[in-house]
Order: sequence, then structure tokens, then C-alpha cells
Amino acid sequence: MCPMERVQRIHGPADLKRLQETLVQGRDPNKPCITVCAGTGCLAHGCQHLVSAFREELTRHGLTDQVDVRTTGCHGFCERGPVVVIYPQGIFYERMQPQDAAEVVERTVINHEITERLLYTNPATGEKVVYERDVPFYKNQTRLILANNGLIDPTSIEDYIAVGGYSALLKALYTMQPDEVIEVVKRSGLRGRGGGGFPTGRKWESCRQAPGDPSAGSGQAIRYVICNADEGDPGAYMDRSVMEGNPHSVLEGMIIGAFALDSHEGYIYVRHEYPLAVENTGIAIERARAYGLLGENIAGTDFSFDVRITRGGGAFVCGESSALMRSLEGDVGEPRSKYVHATEKGLWDMPTVLNNVETWANVPLIINRGWEWYAGIGTEGSKGTKIFSLVGRVNNTGLVEVPMGITLRKIIYDIGGGIPGDKQFKAVQTGGPSGGCLPESLLDLLVDFDELTKVGSMMGSGGMIVMDETTCMVDVARYFLNFLREESCGKCVPCREGIERSLEILNRICAGEGTAEDISLLEELADFLRGFSLCALGQTAPNPVLSTLRYFREEYEAHIFDKKCPAGVCRALIEYYIDPQACTGCGACIRPCPQEAISGEKKQPHTINVELCIKCGACRDVCRFDAVLVR
Amino acid sequence: MIRVVIDGREVVVEQDTTILEAAEKLSIPIPTLCYHKALEPYAVCRLCTVEVVHRGRSRLVTACNYPIREEIEVFTASEKVLKGRRMIVELLLARCPEVPLLQRLAAELGVEKPRFPLKEENCILCGLCVRVCQELVGVSAVSFVGRGVEREVATPFFKLSEDCIACGACAFVCPTGAIKLEDVTDKEPRPLPLEFDMGLKGRGNIYTPFPQAVPNVPVIDRQHCLYFLTGHCRTCQHFCPAHAINYDQEDEIVELDVGTIVLATGYDQFDAHIKPELGYGKYPNVITGLEFERLSSASGPTRGVISINGKQPKEVVFIQCVGSRDQTVGHEYCSRVCCMYTAKQAHLVKDRIHDANVTVFYMDVRAFGKGFEEFYDRVRREGVMYRRGSVSEIYKRGDRVVVRAEDTLLGEPLEMEADLVVLATGVVPRADVEDVAGLLSLERSAEGFFAEAHPKMRPVDTTRDGIYLAGCCQGPRDIPDTVAQAKAAASSAIVVLRQLSDQLISDQ
Repeated sequence: MCPMERVQRIHGPADLKRLQETLVQGRDPNKPCITVCAGTGCLAHGCQHLVSAFREELTRHGLTDQVDVRTTGCHGFCERGPVVVIYPQGIFYERMQPQDAAEVVERTVINHEITERLLYTNPATGEKVVYERDVPFYKNQTRLILANNGLIDPTSIEDYIAVGGYSALLKALYTMQPDEVIEVVKRSGLRGRGGGGFPTGRKWESCRQAPGDPSAGSGQAIRYVICNADEGDPGAYMDRSVMEGNPHSVLEGMIIGAFALDSHEGYIYVRHEYPLAVENTGIAIERARAYGLLGENIAGTDFSFDVRITRGGGAFVCGESSALMRSLEGDVGEPRSKYVHATEKGLWDMPTVLNNVETWANVPLIINRGWEWYAGIGTEGSKGTKIFSLVGRVNNTGLVEVPMGITLRKIIYDIGGGIPGDKQFKAVQTGGPSGGCLPESLLDLLVDFDELTKVGSMMGSGGMIVMDETTCMVDVARYFLNFLREESCGKCVPCREGIERSLEILNRICAGEGTAEDISLLEELADFLRGFSLCALGQTAPNPVLSTLRYFREEYEAHIFDKKCPAGVCRALIEYYIDPQACTGCGACIRPCPQEAISGEKKQPHTINVELCIKCGACRDVCRFDAVLVR
Repeated sequence: MIRVVIDGREVVVEQDTTILEAAEKLSIPIPTLCYHKALEPYAVCRLCTVEVVHRGRSRLVTACNYPIREEIEVFTASEKVLKGRRMIVELLLARCPEVPLLQRLAAELGVEKPRFPLKEENCILCGLCVRVCQELVGVSAVSFVGRGVEREVATPFFKLSEDCIACGACAFVCPTGAIKLEDVTDKEPRPLPLEFDMGLKGRGNIYTPFPQAVPNVPVIDRQHCLYFLTGHCRTCQHFCPAHAINYDQEDEIVELDVGTIVLATGYDQFDAHIKPELGYGKYPNVITGLEFERLSSASGPTRGVISINGKQPKEVVFIQCVGSRDQTVGHEYCSRVCCMYTAKQAHLVKDRIHDANVTVFYMDVRAFGKGFEEFYDRVRREGVMYRRGSVSEIYKRGDRVVVRAEDTLLGEPLEMEADLVVLATGVVPRADVEDVAGLLSLERSAEGFFAEAHPKMRPVDTTRDGIYLAGCCQGPRDIPDTVAQAKAAASSAIVVLRQLSDQLISDQ
């Protein structure tokens, strides 16, 4: 769709309703539509070739008018990409290749037959699943924020309007007072999805009440709203998918927020590494402006608000609100003390509300369906749904949206499909690098802000990394600490020096040089970091260490006292050997060994010379008989 | 106003006062590293962390920037706080083991050897230099570069800064001596010489011009003060407890109606650079009589210790008639004061450094005043060697100089090494003598000083009625002569004023 196309500006709820009806009427619900996921994951799988293959096939069959092809936002099941859903039936095909397009068009679209081999197989039962709604990964989710990701073309505002988009904005603008909007958000119990979990309504209220600086500008207090899309947790991409797949939902939330706060200027701070999110959000802003839903006199009212996109350079710390605001101001992205909240003195020292992508995307839902509905989902202290990025040693990796209060077990086993291979579950890491690792005994924990904090982890922005028995927990703590060391801005002493020294100790332990005092020194440093760091990055940095020490202390002790790595990960503490019973003497392992450490007669069990072995694992990778083992 | 309890003691402060400021009122010390009164609080060293209890909830906050907004109780040295402070110092000491400040802090807090591998840094990254340059100097010649453990203070692109004004504020404020001006710029720092001490000593931008100044208060040097140069800084304001700093004072031009004028504009010292053969300005061992005066003064830069290049001189040479009785520089007249001040200074050298050899090169000794001849005799008896002769050249040998001269009594050339050479520079008319003469339509005598109406009969009058002369503006003279002439000029002025009607005498 050409962004420059002239459209009728919307001047009120009636206009929007008419437009929506026209759009819905113009679309035959029974018209076949091939939707191809064009999220970053599926793009990486080459889905754009698939789309052109579909288009070619349809042209060849002369069906271009009868069948739509739509590229949509991320469906979340990235592990099975490129993901294709064929409507009206909702047939779900996974891992489709361009060469499969001809078959699908011919069989499924024209002849309404199912192509078995492209269906998803439930690993638990071995059964083929035909419809998207029946895939366990989707069936067990409650999709509110991601609901429309698979239905709409993110570059088309009409698609968004057709599914009811911007009706919440019009409702707020025409039937509610700003204070009412705040009250509704407050009562809904919505809490910030960026990690802190601060009640959103309260944040808005204190910003609304902040006097600001009346000397600035026209004597009117200037307030800013910011959307934090600087998602930086390793392995987490919830916000990216929302920005890429449904940018209008975020935009609509921001406009409603701005209306409630009497703000006229908003910023979306998004990582430069998210080019598709930047592009789709940019298009969304343009289109919303064209329809009069953004900019001067929104939807015919005298409320004006505009949004700009600022691209971040990719520093993890810029996801911290005060650092983000400094970066937005053009300064170095470093945090500062928050004794005076941003709601009072934020961006350019003006009252500012900063919320995460997912938080903003929740707002239209709450306005449309009412706070009572929203507050009915979730637990006592945490309402609504939360998107998790489920990754690691789990069968179905992808984006998972679940109601607050679901158990970890449900997420990992029912939605995630359990642990691949016949490996044992060991731990799940939640909350990104500053979160904690939870053991099997906590699998029935109800996932919400407070419960996770209680057990030494946190909700964070929703990263969830599943680990199996082959993961060394000391190594995991080391990995996250190394990440935080790289990403610490270095401004305050505890974070800069403390994380580095903690990492030094962990390196020592992993190298088999740990001492008994190291654990207590680690704990002392952790306590110090938590209490004395300037910002949340440093304050939560010890979580990976503390949670692994709390639940997997015996692994630390094995490293220190027995000089063993139970998971067989820490190179200094392991030894590769060949099981003579299993070895067939095929010789496959001899060639890849860079050290020529493996020797043995043909058809006789081989041996590894441990003096020469550098523990690269090349032999284990090539052995077809699982004869190369680690001890 | 809000009531706060700090370590059990109560203080009432205005809203948004920081805990550090409130504690200062109670004289409760809270250690800091990155805090500076004139800068925005930065809160990165975290050393000022204190425990705050509000509504039964305890929090750790940094005292330097925590604004007091409600009634809180503060504990500046609870066990939790001290534990963290010790860790801060331990971590910093492990980073910079050789920094005395940290060693001292460690000793105070009972931190022994750090439990972490030692590094060899000396910058604690407190950011004082960066912030001084940005907030006060307004130049930002240095800033932080690199992130996290790679953070360091540097100039843009690690090249010497072109924007640096070599003010030295960064090095001055650095608590560990990590930053040096030469790492920032190759511009020469320009120390400000204290004029009264003949530049033998530097001064700040705020200084008292000389000990007997009237009024005896410090002034701001507007030529060099950063605030007047850049509009930034104003640091002195933060530190003056009397709030006496005033940037708004301006020079005033006052117009007065007067009956008579007494001119006592004084003289300039002969510029010894004009005689390059004497090496003045080239060798630090060669100084002028006035410089020696400050060097030997008990209130001078060395508190009266005569030392040159940090050493006590053993061979001292005085050279008289530098710029006087010298046709080559256009001053044929005798400056009248040099013989006696040289005698006095030669005496001072002998008095302070008993084993010093003092030689005076002279043309004639003109000890014409009351008691002068007796003093000259006394100085010679003290062992000061007077040699009649003129010095042709001074040149350097090692860290001494060689004085080449001719002894005109013996009629033979000689060379002698000296640690210190004092030039008895003469008296010359002030540089602005022509302007003043033009302004008042005064005549000048051949040597350039203001001319008296008659050399014998009217020595204090000028050719213009009502204008009188006193002191060296009329010609070289010593203090007793100046005082006598000044009194005469004042008397003459009073005579005229009396003759005029009283109304001409203004209130001033």
C-alpha cells in the first residue's frame, strides 16, 4: 500500500465505524487467504521467497483475484518457520519452502486437500495437527496482545481498523475524561511490562499531577510519553514482534496515554538492530497521521499529539528509563538517580511517562473491554497476560502469551512441548540477564511479578530460557555476568568494579581454581551490588549468581572442592573419553581432531590422548554411536 | 521546612535540601569521592551512601543527591552502610593500589589488603575533571570514553585537545593526580604572576594585590576569571561562606571639580631586557634589584629566604648603573637611588648568608645623603667587595653565570662565576608620561620626566598654575627626598586653595 495515498480523515467515532464496516464488507470471510508470517524469524528462514512463490503459483492458475496472499507479523512459533496459515479453514503449515508452494496452491487452496507432510506433528503424541487453533503451542495460550499478529498486515492500517483498531482511542476521546482513562487503567491493575512491574495507572496519575515547569514554553506544563522498545535481553524478542507485527496497537495505546496525560509529544525509542520494527512503526505513524488519528486535532477533537521514532545504538543499559531519556536527549545513555521520578522530572526535566511496548499495547484492550474484564485475568497482584519469549532446551521455542498466574510447568511442558531428546529439565531462567534460575521444584510456581521476585528471580521483560541437564549452572551465571559486564555503562563503582570482580571469581571457579572463600566473597559482592548500585542494572546483576547459589549450590561446591563440572561443560574440569563398549572403531572421530589426539586400530575401540586433547568436542559431534563421553 | 533526624540529631531544612547538606549543618561528616560543592551531584562513587528510614522502611540512598522531601531518619554510619563503604574502598584500592587517598580511606574504614587481584590504575573515574570542564569551564575538552570496564577519561579521539584552554582545572580537582594537563593539551599553561612579588610567585584569579592594599580585600582578575571569559564557573560563590563574591562591580570614572592637582605618578623601572648582554630574562640567575627586594623580604614569595634555582647563592654579584648614566640606552642621568639600595641589598646578603662572597661593580659610589657614606663604609667593612668597573657580558656556565668585566682601577679584564647577579636597574619616566603631560599641558625635561617651573626657585611647581609635582615623576629621588618634596607640593597646593574661594573645595 502506498503510504502517500490520500484517504479520508476520520472525524469521529461514526467515521471510524463506517470505515471499519466498509473494510469488513469488502472482505469476504470465506475468500481464501494465504497468510505468511513475515516476522524477523521467518524472514531469516526465507519467507519472502515463499511469498513470491505463492504469488507466481496463483498467477499461473489465474487465481490472483480469488485468493489473497498476506504477509503478517510474527506468529510466535518461530521454531517452525516459515509459518503459513491458510484461511478460511485455518490450516497450519510449518517449515514451508518455496518449492512447496505449487503443491499447496494446487491441493489445499484449489482442491481443499491437506498436505500431510507440511503439518505440525505433536511430539508428545506423534499425531499430525491440521488447524492452527489445535496446535498445542497455540491452544494453551491466551493471546490478547499477539491476537492480531497473524491476522493483519502490519503495514496496513486498514487491516488494523478492520479488526476493531482505534476504536478504543475514539472511545477515550469522545466518551471519557482524561482522569477517567487514568482511573480505568489504574483499576485494571495493569503493571509495567518492561521489568519493574510498576502499576501503570499510578505512574500516569503522578505524572498528571506533577506541576512540571510552567515557565517552559507557553506557560503550559509539557509532558512527554515514551515507548521503550529498547529490548535488550539476550534471546528475548517480544517487543520486537509486537512492533513488527502490530505497531498500531502500540501507537493507539500511546495516543490514549497522551490524551490521559495531556501530552502532545511522544517518542518511540527503538533499537537500531530492529530495522523491520523501525520500518513498520514508521509506516504506522505515517498512516495514522493520514487518517487524522495522529498529529493535529486527532479524530476531529482539539487534542493534538505526535510521535517520533528515535533509534538507539543498542546499549543494553539504554533500556533503563533514565539512561534511555539521556540517550533521547542526545546525551550519553547513562542512568542517573531516580529519587525524583521521571513522572516529575524526566525527559528534558519535564514530567514524563515511559512505558514498555507491551504495556502500551495493553491499553487499547483495557479501554475497549473495560477494567473489570482485564482485572479478571491473572492473579491478585498481577493482571492480564504476559508474553514470554520461550527459548533454550525446549521443543517449541517461540513467543508465548499466557495469563498471569499460569505455572511454569504449563508454559514449558504444555506450550513448550517439554525438553527435546531424552534429557532432564534442570532450570528455567526468567527475567533476562538480571533474572534468576529456578529449579524443577519451583515448576509449579504461579508466574506473576511478585511470586517470581519472592523466589529470587523476576518477571523482567519476559525472557524465559529453559535449560536441561547438559547446562552447567556456574557457567550460566558466568555467561550472564559476562553479558552484564559488557553492558554495564561503568558510571558507578559497584556495577563497574563489582560485576567484573564477581565474574573474575566465577571464571576462577569454572577453571577449577575456586576456593572455599570464593562463595562467601561472591555473596558479599552480590549483597553489595544490590544495595549500592546506581541503577537497576547493577542492583539486579547479582540475581544470576544468587539464584544459582540458592538452588544449585552443590554445583558450585563440586567445581570448587571436587574439581568437577557435573554437567560436563567447564573445559578445565572435564575429560573426553571413548567408551570401548560403544566404539565400533569406525575412525570417524580421528579426522576432525585438530590435535591428532585420537588413535586406534580399525574396528578396534579408539582412545583419546588426554594430554593432547583440547576438549573441543569435534569427536563427540561426529560420533554416530554416542561413544565419545565426558567425565 | 522539614525536620530530619541524622544519627540521632535533629535538623530542620528546606525542602529538597540533600542529606549531605543537612549533615553538613550538623557537622556530621559523610565521606565522598565524586562530590564537589560547585558541581551537580553525580552519585557514582556511592561512598556517601547512607541508610534512610521512612515510615519504618529502610533504604540505602546516596546522601549527595537525595532530596529531603519528608520527615526521614538518616543513619550515616550504620553497619550496613559501613560494610558497603568498605567494599567500595576495597574495590577501588584493588583498582588503584598506589593512590594515597584510597590508602588513607582504607585505613580509616579498616580495609586491609584487597581480596581481588590488583590493577595498576590511578584514575577512580569519579568524573570530577570531566564535569569541571563541562559544567564550570564550559569547554568539555575531556570526557568519558568507552563503556563499563573500558571506561576512561580521554580527549576526543585520544588526540591532544584543541579546545582545551589549559586552565588546569581538571588537574586541580583530580583527587588522585591521575589527570595531567600535558595529557590533555600541548598548550602551555599560563600561570598568573603575582605582580607585587615581581612575578616570582604565582597567584590565583582571586587575590589580594599586595599586603598593604587599601581596602585590604581580595579582587577578581577579570582578564583571566573563567566567569568573565566564558560565563561559566562561579565556583567561588559556592565556597565563600560570607557570600561576598560580587561579579557585578564595575570600574567607575569619577569626575571631580578640583582647585589644584598634585602629580605623584611615580616612575618605571628600567627594562633590563634592553641590555641583552647582561642576560636578564635569559638566565634565571640574573634578576633586578626590585626582584631581589621581594626575594629578601620576609613577606615575599620565599619568606625572606634568598634562594635562586632552589639553592642558596654563594657568589653574588651586584651591577650598578644598569640603565643609568648610560648614553647607549638614552639615559644620561644618574638614578640616585641605586647606589644605596645596592649597598643595602649587599648588606642583606651578607647578613643572611654569612659565607657568601658579594661583589659590587660600580662606576662611582654616590653616597650623598645623611648617614649614607657611613653605611657604605659599614657594608665594605662587612666584606662586600666593591670593584670599579663595567660589565661587558654575562653568559652561562653550568647552572651558574660568568660575569665578564673590566676592573677600571687595575685596568685589566676579569671573569668571575656567580650564582646570583642583581642588576641595579635605574629609574625611568613612566610609559604613559607623554599622555599625562598632554592631558595637563605640562612640559617635560630632557630626560622625559615632568619639568618643574624653575630648577632652583620653583622645584615643585609646574609651568601651569595650580599643578604641582611630587616624587619620581619629576626626576629620580629617594624616599626622604620624595617625602620632603611631597610635603612641599601639598603646602603649595594649600596656599592656592586658600586663595581661592572655599566653594571650589569639593566634599572629596
